[in-house]
Amino acid sequence: MTADVRDIPLSTTGELQAVVGNVGAVPGQDWVIVTRGITRDYDMGGEVVRALRGVDLAVRRNEYVAIMGPSGSGKSTLMNLVGCLDTPTSGENWLNGSLGSDMKDDALARVRNREIGFVFQTFNLLPRATALHNVELPLVYAGVGSAERKKRAVEALERVQLKDRMDHRPNELSGGQRQRVAIARALVKQPAILLADEPTGNLDSATSEEIMRVFEELAAAGQTVIMVTHESEIAAHARRVVVLRDGRISSDERREHFVKRLEK
Amino acid sequence: MKILDRLKMLSEGVVIAFDSIRVNKVRAALTILGIAVGVFVVTGMSATVQGINSGVSASLAAAGPTTFFVTRWPAAINSCNGSADSCPWRHNEPLSLDDAHVILRQPGIQSVIVHVGSSAQVKYRGNNLPSARVDAYTADWTEVNGGDMAAGRNFTQGENTDASAVVVINVALRKQLFPDLENAQAIGKEIMIGANPFRVIGIWDQTGSLFDDADEPKATVPFEAAYRKLRFGIRWLDLTVKPRDGVPQDVAMDQAIAALRVRRQLKPAQDNTFFVSTPEKVMELYNDIVGKFFSFMIGLSAIGLMVGGVGVIAIMMISVTERTREIGVRKALGATRGTILWQFLVEAATLTMIGAVAGLVVGGALTYVIRANTSIKASIPPLAIVVALAAAALTGILFGLFPAYRAARLDPVEALRYE
Repeated sequence: MTADVRDIPLSTTGELQAVVGNVGAVPGQDWVIVTRGITRDYDMGGEVVRALRGVDLAVRRNEYVAIMGPSGSGKSTLMNLVGCLDTPTSGENWLNGSLGSDMKDDALARVRNREIGFVFQTFNLLPRATALHNVELPLVYAGVGSAERKKRAVEALERVQLKDRMDHRPNELSGGQRQRVAIARALVKQPAILLADEPTGNLDSATSEEIMRVFEELAAAGQTVIMVTHESEIAAHARRVVVLRDGRISSDERREHFVKRLEK
Repeated sequence: MKILDRLKMLSEGVVIAFDSIRVNKVRAALTILGIAVGVFVVTGMSATVQGINSGVSASLAAAGPTTFFVTRWPAAINSCNGSADSCPWRHNEPLSLDDAHVILRQPGIQSVIVHVGSSAQVKYRGNNLPSARVDAYTADWTEVNGGDMAAGRNFTQGENTDASAVVVINVALRKQLFPDLENAQAIGKEIMIGANPFRVIGIWDQTGSLFDDADEPKATVPFEAAYRKLRFGIRWLDLTVKPRDGVPQDVAMDQAIAALRVRRQLKPAQDNTFFVSTPEKVMELYNDIVGKFFSFMIGLSAIGLMVGGVGVIAIMMISVTERTREIGVRKALGATRGTILWQFLVEAATLTMIGAVAGLVVGGALTYVIRANTSIKASIPPLAIVVALAAAALTGILFGLFPAYRAARLDPVEALRYE
């Protein structure tokens, strides 16, 4: 199933047009992420919390996007939907040509495995497994044979300069190293999107810079990166910054505009 | 996921299981214990039963394929409380030597071995056994008892008829009476049975069996000698009848029954006042007892497995809760419900299999102890090992299903957020 981009309601800001305006593109080709009017309600003990109130977001291949917003703005919810960890209450979300909003549990799991590399704030490495085994995990779920798995995992660790630490367990690694292992794990299947949720939230500023450099290198090499953060300095590393407020997109602009606005 | 990939993940599941056991030693030990007890009971018991079985078969086989028994009492389990209803056979006329002779005169019968067992004081100089087993047999007894003459000879028909004071002792008794002598050196010595001197003419190296422990010191004397010299009571005779070669068992049995009925002047409508049983019938009866015993044991072990199973639920629920986040991560990375379910089932089955192995080891040790210290040749049947492992795995899977299902159904978003 495809959709003409003219059907994609874009954000209200003119800035988005400048960044993403590519009439004729369809979800799954140039567009790795397309969400149309997605909402997400949570039932909190009888009270309905509307975390997202209709978000239209389109991300092209090779973009490096930061999704920003204060806590409660709905950015984590948006990330969960974009990452196919969750399905919207209403609206559609496309991930590299797959309609995530229509899928059930196992189909979502397979899409995640195929298309997304997750990087979490708390690293979320398996504590009892070595760095190598952690990186191999997505390949295990993809059914890749063990020799091939090891080869690709080692390559991914090489990309984050941790090949020499591959036999160490997470508790034998520094915070920055752990996050780099997590990045290697996210990259090992060459996903359509690298999806990072507050990737520097648990790191000191020097290590944060180190991780941001890794992201920049990946983006420069053509990796699509979507990063969720509440820190504007971190968001300013991306080339495009989407700001959420109260479950809606409040601004969507190039980094230069965002930085300029910040400085005012 | 394909079956092959599932199998590849087995090792991972097993490693995780060992890991969680290491982390929660006490909890795991309690879980494993129930399973281990269940398996231990089954293997220990089946090993013993197996050992007893082979002993029974061996001693019945030693008697010969067509041999049968004539007794005053039936080959059955009955509780005799003294009333006529509970054991009418008490009114049966005891078997006598004349009965034996009547049977022996039948054309199909080769030999009739008369036996009565008792005990008496047996001593040689300073070596005194106050109450040793003494069996009285007619001369052919070696034909229906498992074993060989280790030295010397058996008593003859003539010695039996003459009530000669000769005795065949088994190796165990030789060791007691003549600890310093070889088997052959004991031949010709005179020992005292009660107040009567008996000359040792043979050493019997008997095959032990369930009914007849080779380690029990035992003297065998001619029947007539026992009757006349030792004053053995003969109201509890039993006869072992061996048909001639080529005569079918049932034919020989019919001859024996007819002869006894005639001798006892029974009318056609009257029941036999004696019992004839075959080794098969004894075996059947025995199997019946063992079967009941066995189902009781299986019941016990099922309880063990149930207890273990409940433990599996508990430990797996805790494991799932503790690893909620890990499950979230695995799901984020692409693990499907089936994959997670499989992982936890493997873990649960590993737990119970460890219990089974522990039970097998202890059961094996018990089997060894039984073998070493009794005449029961206990051995764990290979099938029991397979069944024990399979039952344990099944228990793990069955009881692990609920926690595993919970894990598989976790919402990845909530699981990732879990602290």
